Amino acid sequence: MSRRNIELLFLVIAGALSTMAYVSVYAGRFREINRVSIIYGLVFVGIFFLLHLLVRFVLPQADPFLLPITALLAAIGLTEIFRIRPSLALTQGQWLLVGAGLFVLTILVVRDHMKLDRYRYIMGVIGLGLLVATIALGTTVNGSKLWIHAFGFSIQPSEFAKLAIVIFLAGYLNDKKVMLSVPTHHVLGVPLPAAKYFGPLLVMWVLSLAMLIFMKDFGMALLFMSIFVALMYMATTRIVYVVLGGGLFAAAAAIAVAVVPHVQDRFGTWLDPWPHATTTGYQLLQSLFTIADGGILGAGFGRGFLLYANHQPVVPDLQTDFIFTAIANEMGLLGAAGLILVYVLFMWRGFRIAVWAPDGFSKLLAAGLAFAFGLQTFIILGGVTRLIPLTGITLPFVSYGGSSITANLMLVALLLMVSHRTNVVREGSDLERRRLAERG
Amino acid sequence: MNKAISRIFIVGVILFVALIVNLTWIMAVRAQWFADRPENKRGIAKEMKIKRGDILGYDGSTIAGSVRRSGYYRRDYPQGTLAPQLIGYDSVRYGRSGIEQELNDQLTGQSTNLGVQSWIDRLLGRKPKGADVQLTVVPAVQKEAQKALSGQKGAIVVLDPKTGALIASASAPTYDPANLEDDWARLSTAPGAPLLNRPTQGLYPPGSAFKVVTATSALDYRRVTPDTKFIDTGTYVVFGGKVTNYGGAVFGPNDFTTALTYSINTTFGKVGSLLGRQRLVSSMQRFGFYRTPPLPLPQGEIVPSGRYGKKGLLSPEAFMDPLAVAWAAVGQEQVLSTPLQMALVAAGVANGGRVMKPYYTQEVVAASGAVVQKAQPQQWLLAMKPATASQLNIMMQRVVNAGTGTAAALQGIQVAGKTGTAERGDGTNLAWFIAFAPAADPQVAVAVIIEDTQSTGGEAAAPLAAAVIKTALAQPSLP
Repeated sequence: MSRRNIELLFLVIAGALSTMAYVSVYAGRFREINRVSIIYGLVFVGIFFLLHLLVRFVLPQADPFLLPITALLAAIGLTEIFRIRPSLALTQGQWLLVGAGLFVLTILVVRDHMKLDRYRYIMGVIGLGLLVATIALGTTVNGSKLWIHAFGFSIQPSEFAKLAIVIFLAGYLNDKKVMLSVPTHHVLGVPLPAAKYFGPLLVMWVLSLAMLIFMKDFGMALLFMSIFVALMYMATTRIVYVVLGGGLFAAAAAIAVAVVPHVQDRFGTWLDPWPHATTTGYQLLQSLFTIADGGILGAGFGRGFLLYANHQPVVPDLQTDFIFTAIANEMGLLGAAGLILVYVLFMWRGFRIAVWAPDGFSKLLAAGLAFAFGLQTFIILGGVTRLIPLTGITLPFVSYGGSSITANLMLVALLLMVSHRTNVVREGSDLERRRLAERG
Repeated sequence: MNKAISRIFIVGVILFVALIVNLTWIMAVRAQWFADRPENKRGIAKEMKIKRGDILGYDGSTIAGSVRRSGYYRRDYPQGTLAPQLIGYDSVRYGRSGIEQELNDQLTGQSTNLGVQSWIDRLLGRKPKGADVQLTVVPAVQKEAQKALSGQKGAIVVLDPKTGALIASASAPTYDPANLEDDWARLSTAPGAPLLNRPTQGLYPPGSAFKVVTATSALDYRRVTPDTKFIDTGTYVVFGGKVTNYGGAVFGPNDFTTALTYSINTTFGKVGSLLGRQRLVSSMQRFGFYRTPPLPLPQGEIVPSGRYGKKGLLSPEAFMDPLAVAWAAVGQEQVLSTPLQMALVAAGVANGGRVMKPYYTQEVVAASGAVVQKAQPQQWLLAMKPATASQLNIMMQRVVNAGTGTAAALQGIQVAGKTGTAERGDGTNLAWFIAFAPAADPQVAVAVIIEDTQSTGGEAAAPLAAAVIKTALAQPSLP
């Protein structure tokens, strides 16, 4: 079976699964299935079918699993958002449409990700600029400054900055990896590269410290610092960067905990939420109660207890940061663990693309994107389950939020391009190779 | 480079496995623990989707009903404030109390003994339907008791001495259960403690009302007869201390009946000395002191009466010197009693010495209409011999006819009772009156307590008891 037919098969499976979830929610809410519900379902299926067709014609050798996984996650997210607040599902559906548009645009404009290597500094400036703009112009929501309000929309620039910075770092580190990995002197018996190559590390550290203090957001700071450290390590294979980066981030976090009350609260409630059950620990404890209530099998889609009599969700921000809480409650331990495995599957495809990629830039790009995706998922899932301190960050494709779904669809587009190039270079026909060369 | 990439992936997988392990811990291993945490109000909120059973009065009128609003049921109270401390509240924010908590399984239809239909519903995953609970509380009597208390602090308990049924249980100050959530901050900190269910949670020195217990003991152990002679000089010196009369009165020669009629402290002090600690405490125990009365209420909402020390209830064996015994026999010292316990004392005398098990559930009717539970009166304790009860009955009639309790006398109804005035030492009194009526064939037993008053039990409490007894005996039927 060709890659595209595998993709189509799994898209159909994902479509069937999501239809079941959607019907369950719809029937649970309105006790009937009507035409409108079917139209919404068909529009969703139509979007992903069109994306499949685009990939079929432009990137025929791309990885066949990423798009079905994306469709499944987006469907679960839309369904759960619809279940929590139907009006938001419509907005989210429109954002999915915008995201699909940008996915198409990314593929048609970029065509071959190798082109991006040439614009790496521009990407770096864009990424940095987006973060600085957020710090300067952002508004504070739930204690964190992550949003810019413009043209009637709220945009979370850090979601896009994530992509730009991974592209920049992949190019930059691929270029400098040799210098970065050669030790020139020893400190306390530890071989270290020349001090000037630590520059970027320090810049990144200052940036994440600034994010902690000015954006008051532990999650995004951890995400950016980790992306950087992981890419440094993958580029140089030198563990010293991980140790140093980890130490520097721990120091930054300690400073933030001491200085920023919001971060302090989050940390304190993570250690012991019980004394703050009605104040700062309320959200986390309600999340744990709601998750625990799901049991092994869950209440079923649309049948869990997620809304109070006044339609307020049982956990504040249930449709965004705490969407996993809602899913765990309704799908139970089996469903929630299954969802986590779907994310592992996505990560695995991403890292597999990186391992098989023929050149350093492609490797670092794919691994960086997969890492960013996986870590973001871990930060929010660990947060709502009290494995790590809670921090407001979206669950890719599932959480309500336009920036998140749009940026992550672009991330999938980039991974598909890398995998297409990889597969063509390794096993493609002469025709495909020639076409690829023309694109570059 | 590939090796490093693989390593990063493996670290990622380990982190995700940790997520699943932690999730299993929360959702499977500790799920029940989370469900049982008091901070977790999900259970209550979920049960709001169930049509909660009504709480009905003995006359069949609704005290706490259930109204549906946007898919959820909320309590409404068609009769307004009616025994809210006993009924309790049912709030998503503040949890449950009283009967709402105690009978929650029945009210939400989740009890296992609600009949076949509820089992079928459960097997089919249908939402359970709550069972209605009919109480023994008679709304007309309850309203009269609340009216009698209005503007004061105190409690009134009315029991059926022959069955143990709780006819009324009033606590003042009170509150409007419909506005509980809005008023919570004020109610939970108000100095008068309106949320406290005084009849079962309020502990007061029983004062001279306790003399009924002392008299029971003295007659039962044949230390005295109703005619035993005493001479009062205003002071009884014992063990280096003295027992004095209320207001410094001196009564001169008196017999035991007269001593109860006028509540002569010195005589009861002497009777206490004749009895000794062991017999007195043993009689207390046979009235129910030193144990939590078996009225089903949540933990902490009903407390035992008895001698209290700094660390709570003392053991019945705790040491007492002769002065302490003498004062305890008078009802002062360290004895504390709930209004319910004092009502049980009156009911015990009224019922020929047999103390019935107190209860408030008349009937539980499942949603299907089947009666799944019906009150079955049971004897709880035997407080005294029937002969003792007869003697005390006559002595307590004298209190109302010629003694300190004349304010409780009713036209055409012979009331038997005993007053009590416990001095708090801050210039205020606790006014008690315990009674039963009609004396020849007692239908109701009453305990009244008024806090923070300048008056005596005969002045402040006895008239309220009379009003409540009158209303109760005018009812077409009592439990």
